[in-house]
Amino acid sequence: MNLGHGGNNGQSIVLSGEMYKAISEILSDLASKTRARAIIFSDMNGHPITQRGTSADINISNMSALAAGGFAATTEIAKLIGEKKQFKFIFHEGEKNNVYLSNVGDNFLLIIIFDSQTALGMIRIYTKRAINALTELIANVTDTEQKITQFVDVDFNKYLSEELDKAFKF
Amino acid sequence: MLPDVPAFDFSFCFMFINWAQREITLKIVYYGPGLSGKTTNLRYIHNNLNPSLRGDLITLNTKEDRTLFFDFLQLELGQILGKKPRFNLYTVPGQVYYSQSRKIILSGVDGIVFVVDSQIERLEDNLDTLLDLEQNLITMGRTLKNFPFVIQFNKWDLPNTANIDALQHKLNFYQAPHFKSVATEGIGVLETLKAIINQVVIHIQQKV
Repeated sequence: MNLGHGGNNGQSIVLSGEMYKAISEILSDLASKTRARAIIFSDMNGHPITQRGTSADINISNMSALAAGGFAATTEIAKLIGEKKQFKFIFHEGEKNNVYLSNVGDNFLLIIIFDSQTALGMIRIYTKRAINALTELIANVTDTEQKITQFVDVDFNKYLSEELDKAFKF
Repeated sequence: MLPDVPAFDFSFCFMFINWAQREITLKIVYYGPGLSGKTTNLRYIHNNLNPSLRGDLITLNTKEDRTLFFDFLQLELGQILGKKPRFNLYTVPGQVYYSQSRKIILSGVDGIVFVVDSQIERLEDNLDTLLDLEQNLITMGRTLKNFPFVIQFNKWDLPNTANIDALQHKLNFYQAPHFKSVATEGIGVLETLKAIINQVVIHIQQKV
């Protein structure tokens, strides 16, 4: 898998246990330095991968899906005005909370939700460092083929169908 | 100790697998012309699903209650053979005007449900939107011909629906699985969802 390509190129993303741990450590470090309410690492399609922070009341799935949608729309705006790449970051300013969004390579997104009292400059500095570390980490993934049958085998489909039936008969 | 799976190239699918958490996330997009019933499908699924297995239904609407960007609903099933499958369901805005938004939402799609407005006078709109979908897929390097795809002939309760053979002939040129539905009453909604999930999983298995 080549993680350096854009999300439209058709590859799936399989995250190893080791990689997941390394990403989580970078996020923990960023969380302790910035004391952000929440930090979410998601893919560009809005699938959350891992998160850190001090607030448990944020719906991570919804946040990732909406942030990825917004980020994609904003990237199209960048194209429309002749930018060669997406905007470096997107900042939403609220009364109590702010949101800072930045891409990590072409396939991932970092979402940081922080108190409006926290200095944006500090968030930017630490986030930039975290993004560099994450980008380096992701770039070092070696291409290795791995069978996925362990994950989605024939039985999986059968049980999935049964689970779906159960889900609607509650 | 979890197995370490560094990477896997999978040219026709975009699924996301988090091996450490044993989660697989798949993206299903409901596509179709304006007012064909895409949001109604999601609303029915949301209302009839065990609340512990679903998230909120997110809708980004215009003031007139038409879809502006997308609807989003996450469906999280229990553990299956030790793995946690998750399905992210999206709709696109059907209005012709929002063509760029549809492209954005298609990014990373694993399976598509095409919701047809089965009324005779909407036949051309259905066809235009289907061609718009195929065109968008082609720009992403794929085609409906070999992509997980299900057609839903919606609004089947209305008096002015086209003949099923005519609809099939005109719209279902790749012989995709198809279902008649009345999404407002939930008829055919779950069958459609199960069929697309089934297609997506089979597709993954075949590509391995």
